[in-house]
Amino acid sequence: MGLFDTKIVSANFDDPGAKDIAHVERKGGYSSARQAVRMDPATILDEVKASNLRGRGGAGFPTGLKWSFVPKGAQTVYLVINADESEPGTFKDRHILYWDPHLLVEGMIIACRCLRVRSAYIYIRGEMVREYRVLEAAVEQAYAKGYLGRRIFGSDVDLDITVCRGLGAYICGEETALLSSLEGGRGWPRLKPPFPAVKGLWGQPTVVNNVETIANLPWIIAHGGKAFAELGTGRSGGLRLLSVCGHVNKPGVYEVPLRLTGREIIEDVCDGVRDDKAVKAVIPGGVSMPALTPEELDVPFEFDALQQDPSIREVEVRPGVKFDLGGGRTLRTMAGSGGMVVMDETTDIPKIAWRILHFFHDESCGQCTPCREGTGWLASVAHRVAFGHGRSGDVDLMASIADGIAGNTICALGDAAAWPTLAFLTKFRPEFEAKVKASTHAHSTESAIPFSPGGT
Amino acid sequence: MWSRFPPEAAGKALTLSILSMAQEQFGKVDSEVFELVGARLGVPASHVKGVATFYTMLNKEDVGRYHLQICTNIGCMLEGAYEVFDHCKRRLGVDNRGTTEDGRVTLAEVECLAACGFGPVAQINERGQPEIPLYFEQLNVEKIDQIIDALEEGRIPEDLGR
Repeated sequence: MGLFDTKIVSANFDDPGAKDIAHVERKGGYSSARQAVRMDPATILDEVKASNLRGRGGAGFPTGLKWSFVPKGAQTVYLVINADESEPGTFKDRHILYWDPHLLVEGMIIACRCLRVRSAYIYIRGEMVREYRVLEAAVEQAYAKGYLGRRIFGSDVDLDITVCRGLGAYICGEETALLSSLEGGRGWPRLKPPFPAVKGLWGQPTVVNNVETIANLPWIIAHGGKAFAELGTGRSGGLRLLSVCGHVNKPGVYEVPLRLTGREIIEDVCDGVRDDKAVKAVIPGGVSMPALTPEELDVPFEFDALQQDPSIREVEVRPGVKFDLGGGRTLRTMAGSGGMVVMDETTDIPKIAWRILHFFHDESCGQCTPCREGTGWLASVAHRVAFGHGRSGDVDLMASIADGIAGNTICALGDAAAWPTLAFLTKFRPEFEAKVKASTHAHSTESAIPFSPGGT
Repeated sequence: MWSRFPPEAAGKALTLSILSMAQEQFGKVDSEVFELVGARLGVPASHVKGVATFYTMLNKEDVGRYHLQICTNIGCMLEGAYEVFDHCKRRLGVDNRGTTEDGRVTLAEVECLAACGFGPVAQINERGQPEIPLYFEQLNVEKIDQIIDALEEGRIPEDLGR
């Protein structure tokens, strides 16, 4: 790294000592929490609003605004940390959990003071056993110090933090599915509204925040919301943790300014593409986000820019017909979870599309028919296209299935499968068509609808 | 943990963690476990079964002593995960989710393990040893061969680094 001086959530990465509370405190850890428990909750909320902190889990929703949806005077409010990082391409929260667990605990204390929460939960991915142990140890240390439990930091504030583990279900990263899972059920998403801030865990107002979002709070309390906003750009405050994988020379987790463009991240942060190859496609924030072409990489990897910059092509349902995101809005791409996947010129895009769809089919919770069946059909058709058995009409068929899923499901998993599909077909259509043309069944007259959704 | 949940919701809330503990003890969760867990938590066994069948980390069928899970999702795929996975299939003589005849190794293709920058990645669980989920990064055919050698000899593979 060494490119940028300011570090907020990655300051303790690679410092093995940061798992020890005494070591962390010598470096200034917990001083913001100590301060926050004596602050007026309204003042904390003002700082968070002023900071322009936006949710780092994927949606980029303003954190202060989310918090302000909790009904005034609510008796029981819960804070739930979404540590179920599972979006393929994303591995940033894992670094915070492993290297700096106390930063998350401290951020939670601040959030809980602001929201008057007495019982908070961390929902961590079941697969992250190593990180779970690190986090449990950190929570225990905080209890032993009196920073959690009764009358924390000698104040009149009580706070319990409980770490709960998932058991292998991508969908539990969706906030309402996470709450269903935390309550001990299947990870089934719920219809919104009501939003969790009004009716969440056990029917009580609940704020669900991502690990990285909360890990920014100690810095915001220490330096002020305004300073945090100034680090950012436009309506997005602070820095951003990106995880970069794929064909770059230096994959990894980097905390970078939001103004950096995709090209700068690849060239300056990740030392370019391996073997001096050219870029073919870049997924900006986890596999549910529409991919970018090399021509679209001069846009800052910031929430609003990636949604609005006119140099990014709008996703189409078929050539010339723009995909409708609802209310006439079009879809370019989104910053998502910060999981960036760089693919070089040798990458077989139809195969990548199949693998992504195979994943979503596997992870669909099964509640909504368009998603349960549609992701299976998509995976099936994508498989035969990618592996030499495509039939004429398959490319249009994929687009039509994807369009039938998008917007028609309880949660965003359906969209997460449909959007990248439509984006690949919009931007790399000739590659899919060439595959179909070259395949052995290109002129088959069989029914184009695959029979078995599990046929991958 | 019971006290950390609202009293009326605690039984149900503990379903996942009790199932997980049951699996550590019995190696899998089956109808007998669903009855036991349901009775202990005061929830219907059908609820427990519904939960158990939803989550992939709960084994509904027997797995071998070692559960070798290889991620083939996008980050790992770009780094050659399918070559590693196919090599495992050939070498162990099993298909996805199959167990070797001696009951030693179960091979599984899994979804993203959140280490995409360092793929291909594998995680290995040993039955009855919840403390030991081994994590291997930047795998290739040579490295996975060393790992399988170790498993066949009944020892924990060394950390092979990046």
